[in-house]
Amino acid sequence: MLNTMSFSAQIPLSLAASAVPAVECQGVTVRFTTERGTVTALENIDLTVPQGSFLSLLGPSGCGKSTLLRVVADLIAPTSGIVRVNGEAPEVARQNREIGFVFQDAALLPWRTALENVLLPLEVGGGARRSNNRDPRELLALVGLSGWEDAYPHELSGGMRQRVSIARALVSGPKLLLMDEPFGALDEITRDRLNEELLQVWESTGTTILFVTHSIYEAAFLGQEVLLLAARPGRVRELVDVNLPSPRRLPQRETAEFVELAGHLRRVLETC
Amino acid sequence: MSQSTLSPGVTPVSFGGAFANDESERARFVSAQRRLAWRKRLLPVVAIAGLIALWGAVVAIFDVQPFIAPSPWAVASVLVEKADILLANLVPTATEALLGFLLGNLVAIVIATAFVYSKAAEEAFFPVAVMINTIPVVAKAPILVLLLGNGMEPKIAIAALICFFPTLVNMTRGLRDVNPQALELMKVLSASPREIFWKLRVRNSLPYLFSALKIAASMSVIGAIVGEWIGSTSGIGALIIQATYNFDSPLLYATIVVGSTFSAVFFSVISMLERRLLKWNTARAN
Ligand SMILES: Nc1ncnc2c1ncn2[C@@H]1O[C@H](COP(=O)(O)OP(=O)(O)OP(=O)(O)O)[C@@H](O)[C@H]1O
Ligand SMILES: [Mg+2]
Repeated sequence: MLNTMSFSAQIPLSLAASAVPAVECQGVTVRFTTERGTVTALENIDLTVPQGSFLSLLGPSGCGKSTLLRVVADLIAPTSGIVRVNGEAPEVARQNREIGFVFQDAALLPWRTALENVLLPLEVGGGARRSNNRDPRELLALVGLSGWEDAYPHELSGGMRQRVSIARALVSGPKLLLMDEPFGALDEITRDRLNEELLQVWESTGTTILFVTHSIYEAAFLGQEVLLLAARPGRVRELVDVNLPSPRRLPQRETAEFVELAGHLRRVLETC
Repeated sequence: MSQSTLSPGVTPVSFGGAFANDESERARFVSAQRRLAWRKRLLPVVAIAGLIALWGAVVAIFDVQPFIAPSPWAVASVLVEKADILLANLVPTATEALLGFLLGNLVAIVIATAFVYSKAAEEAFFPVAVMINTIPVVAKAPILVLLLGNGMEPKIAIAALICFFPTLVNMTRGLRDVNPQALELMKVLSASPREIFWKLRVRNSLPYLFSALKIAASMSVIGAIVGEWIGSTSGIGALIIQATYNFDSPLLYATIVVGSTFSAVFFSVISMLERRLLKWNTARAN
């Protein structure tokens, strides 16, 4: 353990970053067997996500977006195919705390304050010993919650809860952040604001982000690329490059380029 | 706190405005809270005083005979005069109730834990628990007296059996009904089974456990008293039987008052513990 750590520290960072993609999927297929028969949630997915990029996953309900994130996070094993996270098996990446996960309903523990929730990853799974850990208070400040450290989840609004869960996902300093419709339950104004802030977090941390959403605008505004998935069975429909200038700011969504891009995404989505 | 070490060039969004730094608003909130707390304490006292007054009026107006129902003052004077006898009889009952409470809940918690980790254990033993629970207390009591003799043991066993079932059912639910996303979170964090148990399942079960414990607190006292009805010479239960046979209704009522007061104190202690330990939950319930 100690050996591998000192060894990996000697690899020049730039070389390692450019050589190994953050996520690599080769022919990934996931089938679920239930009483009603077998469902193919994902079929033959090939995907490469470079380090530090922001990929939006867009597709109709039931096309396997959550399943794809769960395979990458090692929450389920693929039926066939190969998944690599930072060049390793997802299980290894998970054990090394290279993966952060943000759930749709925030999944905060109601008996813990905001700060205690952010501390959870450091209390379990040997999280305290890692070198990439960040200061939980600074992370709460980063997501705009300084002063709310001692508030319980029921005292926070939905948007604030989701901010806490983002801080919690970042506390182990993950290289990859998986987000499953994190803002799906929020009103549009709050969602817009969190979108902009998420981009700031992404720019400041350099984390790779896989972001699942139902919203065409969210997908196009956030992602450097948008991966469109088709349903039954879940498969890659199209990988759309988003050529918008950065840093992205909300007014950009009214530009002709953006409107055209959103129109294209909508037309493809309708045929999925 | 230096922001720059973490996020160069990022301005955190401020929620400062959301804390109304308004002192008068805060003072109003605090005084409203205090008023509500006082109301919660005073109303039951007023209600009980009213009921006692009504009881006294009925006894006086209809001239009820003392061996049928005593007046409140007769009961009050017995409570004072025979305080030593009453308290001497409360001690064994309270001991049996407390020990039964501890034993029954402890066993229930251990078995609930086993159920959560082994479906087979639940399938085998839950029907047995249901069956034992369907036997009425008054029927369980003689069986246990025959089995365990005439001492405190059968009373403790009855109190324990009565506490056992609600805690088993609630605790099993509390340990099991964990937010599935929280479980996935624990897996993403590579938490060990022990960490998942202590940091997630146990914490999740506490509100369920406490609602069972509050039921168990009063039930354990009932169990001990019913146990004392059969072949016992001391305890609240024995005193009830004795007073009934002697048509000593003031003593009967006084005994019941002592028993219920103990039960109420027991319940309040558990409620207080609950409020102390589950601040996050009681705040949410309000
Ligand atoms: N644990 C499971 N057992 C059985 N079937 C499952 C399971 N998880 C997902 N599925 C099936 O796999 C398919 C893809 O599900 P998934 O949750 O990945 O879709 P999704 O794209 O995330 O949908 P949504 O946008 O509604 O969240 C669905 O048909 C679903 O019924
Ligand atoms: Mg989903």
